[in-house]
Amino acid sequence: MEQERPPSKWKNILDKLRNLGQISPDKTRRTILRRRYYVALISRRLTLIEIILFLIGYLWLLVLPLPRLGQRTYMDENALQPAQVNTYWNWDDVHAADNYLDHVERLRDNNITSAKRAEWLQTELGKHGISASTQNYTFSTSFGIVNGTNTYAILASPRHSGTEAIVISASWISRIGEGNGTVNVRGVSTVLALAGFLKRYSHWGKDIVFVLSDGYLEGMQAWLSSYHGTSQSGLKVDPLELTSGVIWTALNIDYSGHSFSHLGIFFEALNGRLPNQDLMNSADTIARYTAGVPVILYDHLDPEEEPAAYEAPWWLPKAIHDIKEVRSYLYQAKNVARHIGYQYNGRGSGVHGLFRQFRIDAITLYGIPAMGPHGFHAIGRTVESTLRTMNNLLERLHASFFFYLQTGPRQFLKIGLYLPSAILISVALMFRGLGTWVNAGWISANHNSKDGALSKESTWRSRKRPITGTLSVMIAMHAFGAALFALVSSSWFISNIETLAPIAFLTAFVLPLFALVIPSTKSEDVAPMHMILKTANLCLTSTVISIITLMNFSLAAVLAVVLGIPLVISSPSSKMSVRIAKYSAYALLALGWLLFAQQEIVKSVWSWQVLLVWFAPFVCIVYVPLVLQAGIVCLLQP
Amino acid sequence: MSSKPQPPSSSPPPNNNFAVAFCALAAARTWLSLTGFSSLLDHNQLVSSPLTAFSNLKEGIFLFNHDIDPYSGGSFRQSPLLLSLFTTILPSSSKPLASLLWTLNDVVGAYTLVQIWRSRQNVTSSRRDTLVAAAYLLNPYLFLPSLALSTSSFENTLMLSAILFACKRKPSQTVFTLSVLVQLSLTSIIMVLPAMLLLITDPHSHLASPQPIQTSLRKLWPLFGEFSLYTIVLILISTVIAGSWTWIPQTWGATLMLPDLTPNTGMWWYFFTEMFDHFRPFFLMVFSVHLLIYVAPVCLKFQYDPLYAAYILLGILGIFKPYPTLSDPGLFVSMIALFPETYQYMRHPIVTLLLHLHAALLMPLFYDLWVVQGAGNANFFYASTLVFACANGAAIVDALWSGLRVAIGETPEGYVVVQE
Amino acid sequence: MRLSFFLHLVIGILSWSWAAASTDSQEQIVKDFFDKNSNSNNEGSTHTNNWAVLVCASRYWFNYRHMANALGMYRTVKRLGIPDSNIILMLADDVSCNQRNKFPGSVYFTPDRGVDLYGDNIEVDYRGYEVTVENFIRVLTGRMEPSVPRSKRLLTDERSNVFVYMTGHGGNEFLKFQDNEEISAFDIADAFEQMYQKKRYNEIFFMIDTCQANTMYSKFYSPNILATGSSELGESSYSHANDHDIGVAVIDAYTHYVLEYMENVNKTSHASMQQLFSYIDPVKINSHFGVRTDLFTRSLDNIRLTDFFGGVAQAEIVSRPETDNTNINRIEEEEVLSERNITEAHSRPRLPNQQTISWWSYATSPQYKQLRIWSSLVMLGGLIGLVFSRK
Repeated sequence: MEQERPPSKWKNILDKLRNLGQISPDKTRRTILRRRYYVALISRRLTLIEIILFLIGYLWLLVLPLPRLGQRTYMDENALQPAQVNTYWNWDDVHAADNYLDHVERLRDNNITSAKRAEWLQTELGKHGISASTQNYTFSTSFGIVNGTNTYAILASPRHSGTEAIVISASWISRIGEGNGTVNVRGVSTVLALAGFLKRYSHWGKDIVFVLSDGYLEGMQAWLSSYHGTSQSGLKVDPLELTSGVIWTALNIDYSGHSFSHLGIFFEALNGRLPNQDLMNSADTIARYTAGVPVILYDHLDPEEEPAAYEAPWWLPKAIHDIKEVRSYLYQAKNVARHIGYQYNGRGSGVHGLFRQFRIDAITLYGIPAMGPHGFHAIGRTVESTLRTMNNLLERLHASFFFYLQTGPRQFLKIGLYLPSAILISVALMFRGLGTWVNAGWISANHNSKDGALSKESTWRSRKRPITGTLSVMIAMHAFGAALFALVSSSWFISNIETLAPIAFLTAFVLPLFALVIPSTKSEDVAPMHMILKTANLCLTSTVISIITLMNFSLAAVLAVVLGIPLVISSPSSKMSVRIAKYSAYALLALGWLLFAQQEIVKSVWSWQVLLVWFAPFVCIVYVPLVLQAGIVCLLQP
Repeated sequence: MSSKPQPPSSSPPPNNNFAVAFCALAAARTWLSLTGFSSLLDHNQLVSSPLTAFSNLKEGIFLFNHDIDPYSGGSFRQSPLLLSLFTTILPSSSKPLASLLWTLNDVVGAYTLVQIWRSRQNVTSSRRDTLVAAAYLLNPYLFLPSLALSTSSFENTLMLSAILFACKRKPSQTVFTLSVLVQLSLTSIIMVLPAMLLLITDPHSHLASPQPIQTSLRKLWPLFGEFSLYTIVLILISTVIAGSWTWIPQTWGATLMLPDLTPNTGMWWYFFTEMFDHFRPFFLMVFSVHLLIYVAPVCLKFQYDPLYAAYILLGILGIFKPYPTLSDPGLFVSMIALFPETYQYMRHPIVTLLLHLHAALLMPLFYDLWVVQGAGNANFFYASTLVFACANGAAIVDALWSGLRVAIGETPEGYVVVQE
Repeated sequence: MRLSFFLHLVIGILSWSWAAASTDSQEQIVKDFFDKNSNSNNEGSTHTNNWAVLVCASRYWFNYRHMANALGMYRTVKRLGIPDSNIILMLADDVSCNQRNKFPGSVYFTPDRGVDLYGDNIEVDYRGYEVTVENFIRVLTGRMEPSVPRSKRLLTDERSNVFVYMTGHGGNEFLKFQDNEEISAFDIADAFEQMYQKKRYNEIFFMIDTCQANTMYSKFYSPNILATGSSELGESSYSHANDHDIGVAVIDAYTHYVLEYMENVNKTSHASMQQLFSYIDPVKINSHFGVRTDLFTRSLDNIRLTDFFGGVAQAEIVSRPETDNTNINRIEEEEVLSERNITEAHSRPRLPNQQTISWWSYATSPQYKQLRIWSSLVMLGGLIGLVFSRK
């Protein structure tokens, strides 16, 4: 065939295509050199970078309470429309509440059993024409058996199908002293009077559920878990006779003093969760504008609003704390510290905290005990108006208003402003971990050469980094942590805590000493175990911290502060005494709570068994092994 | 082969050890499957997709037993073969029995993986056997879906069996297993070519000595013919079970048309929830074709070691499958145990590992924040699946790099290997 | 043939010339008829009927005020004489029956609750989920399904003055409908153009009360449209008054002042648009309302409010053509009968078909399910046996 084929043309195109991705050797060389330069730059400056990251991270944590950093709270959900209604709670209703108060005080003083008490409460609620019922529950835990009786009543929405509900609750025990036994007499009376009052109105779009729970936290936990049909080991509970729709929001009333000066808002839920901020903001707006009650965060008085109640810290010269900014900073720092205290151990700050596990937004309104000026009148109006606001809700509160750091009653930080502090520290840990890993992979060829003069010419060669041994150590340590948890949460341990805790400490202290007998890797071609263990430990810690930031920022911040620098500086030593001393320090950091915080152990284990707060297992299974592994790094032969 | 080959005669004692260790692993898995732990995973979307969920399978069986066409609704999307097996000889109503079945399936899978390892090394047993078995049985990506009774565990076992048959040069068995696999999951069709290449070559590692494929590719044609034959017969069997052709749009069709946008660990669902309707067919086509694109280049590049090609393609399937569960990337992760010769050439194994660690923790956390607590939204979870995809992508890039890098071997002083 | 053609031609020419001569006088009559309303400058409106389309595009309880806006406007146009048949009222929600409403069955637009807007005589043409962008545009353009009743149609002609009022949540060049869709300024502009081309209006007065409302009329391009909005680009429209028992805002500021002015207007009022717009104070309503007049030929002074808010009363007595009706009835009956025949004719031959059931239907019927499933299992087992016995 004479057909003209253009091989040259096709070939040209193909060649061009081939050359498209080709890089000249010279260019490649430059790329390699450049890459090496940057890698070298980073690895040389690694320590500096880490120090900078640590500094920024810690400084960031310190500046969180700065008044200038935060922003004013605002309402995000359009439907809520807080403080837009006239309230009708009046002196008659206050009188009704006073009458109830007499009865409730008699119940308290006569030491009536909770079953009898619940019966009375049920009758009183029933007198309003609301269906009421009681519920018995029994918790069997390492602390023995706790039982009680809850009372609850359901005011069905007159013009709606009852698919949604609002809860108004008061626990029998007030939050004073974190539930030290003071009876929430006025809270209970308020709820009883409110039931009669609210029944008179027909504009409720949701059922209103009144819950008078027994005990401080356990009663509500029992009621909620049976309302939502969840089972929990160790809890025996009567099924609920009356039920309603999905609960979206809840308001817990805690008012035990004679009168109150401020309404304090408590909001931290279990396991570091937080309720939607809109709920708090609504309550704040309503209390201020409808009832005329000043609102504060927790029971902290704002020095600007209440100069009389302000006590200057002794350690600060007067000239400094006279500056307004300093006072605001100290006030907000106090708020942040209180928040961290409630959040990091996952126990929350009261009865409202139990609701969030069932996706219910709840807060506690706490009447700060004082001799006036406010009483039933103010709290009734606040609750009535807040209910109208909750009644306006069309869907669950959303809009990602769940991540915030409240620095004042009307001041908060968005997630982007507080999260980086802990994240930066975790990044610093990660850098050190990766740096250690890279260092473990290389060894200088002139490592042992005696003549230091020639070491400038030292060349590097790679060495193996076996990970199986390290992994076994880590798995063993975490299993050991699990065993420790099983021990700590047993009833035998709890009842003999004073004798057993030091023994547990000693055992836990001694066991990791086996690391002393792990032979050092004699071969130069294999990286020493302590480097690999340190790498793995730091990377794991960094991951844990950054993951926890989203679940429980306070816990992450505490971990970042406690673990950050100690874990980075862990290193072996040639002297036996130094090794032991370093290890002891780490062991104390890891297990010191066994010696010094026995009360906390009891509380944490109780929270785990009754409220399913995972702080106790987290400490035993994650925190203790991480710190002990840093200790083992020090024990291992260099 | 860069790793030290085990002499075939080397060890009866390790073999005994292996038997003991393997039984211990299997016992541990059995214990795990019978604890109440698995009930936590019942409705978890990470471990079972709409195409593999046990609850959907039970729904289908229920409908079938009550004389309702299970494929008439949109809930049941599993193959009629599963329907037939689970209504007759396999347990579905008793959870403990089903758990045992799934565990048994995983044990078979693990043993198959060990056999693949042995035939790759051309030994009857080695000291690494236990490690390989542990890599399969203790891989959380694999045992969590298995605890949740996701049928993707069966797909994995079938995949491994097909590869094993191919390693053992059993053409009919290979091809048949593959066509059963394709019945269960249409996307597995991209594994047909590498498996058949493996059948006509050998499973040993040739990564260190790349050379063009020696055998004639004509041998593939009868295999393809046999594959088509089995597929047609299985389609007929499926049709007999279902009583009509409606199972095809409901099972295979779902893979192509993505009717169910329940969130999962993959890349498709979020993309198609955000998609405007009139672009949907086009992007469905793009996403489906995109899966096929990888087959030819990967098989060409690794023509001297088709097992490695299969391994790479499994990784790609784990990322880009329409309805993946954790067990799809999990299979890829476990199969790393088969290729120790590549370990020392991996570029950034620790980065990949850390990405996986982060993704594995973030996915359940963000899922919980979104679905259970309602504090986050879909973007949270999608972000975590992107991290997961990055982790898997990094693993594949590393596997590709190290697989090719083996051929160059140790570099002399002052030389660097670069990619151009 | 030729003759007849010639005759036709002559007659045609004659009649044409007569017609041409008389046109002037007839046109004058028609013009006079339509210009009855116009003033001495000959600048009056030339419409013969009035229509109103009142749209509240947002739902939910906290948007009570939007419902009240539209209902307030409804009350005013009805008071000034537009009958219900000429008002298309679209309300996206029913706040009067909302369970949160403290005054069930009522809607108020002032905190003193003087007037119940939801009184006895309310005709809502589109309610709830019927209020969609599509339905709104169909109402304007008249492109309806044949089944849509007359009460839901805007039956305007080229002599109709149409008042279009919209309220809801909006933004730059859009207005939200029902929280899930939006209408854009272009959509309304195009709908008006279509109305113009189809001779569906004489003049349009477009009023909108929403955030950044003035952007909504910026895209109009058809003649004879007067438009006003409550706020400029980048401005919000604010609510006017809260009712503390109902618990939400009950009216928007701009609409409130428009309605307040309209309260003093009656059917015979000669008040002009200019007077209305001078009454509204941008300081009081917290936004700069806008008026667009460039598409309109008459000046604001010459536009009476009653041109749009009032109705042209018209009464005609038409004798009922009874005979025709019976005829139609009879024809309809016949049609029904014949249809019945047809259906019977169709259904008869089907019967034997139903009796012959193919073997396949047997195989797929539930009784044979077990057979199917076990046979398939045997087939599968056989296949596996076959495959694995092969060497």
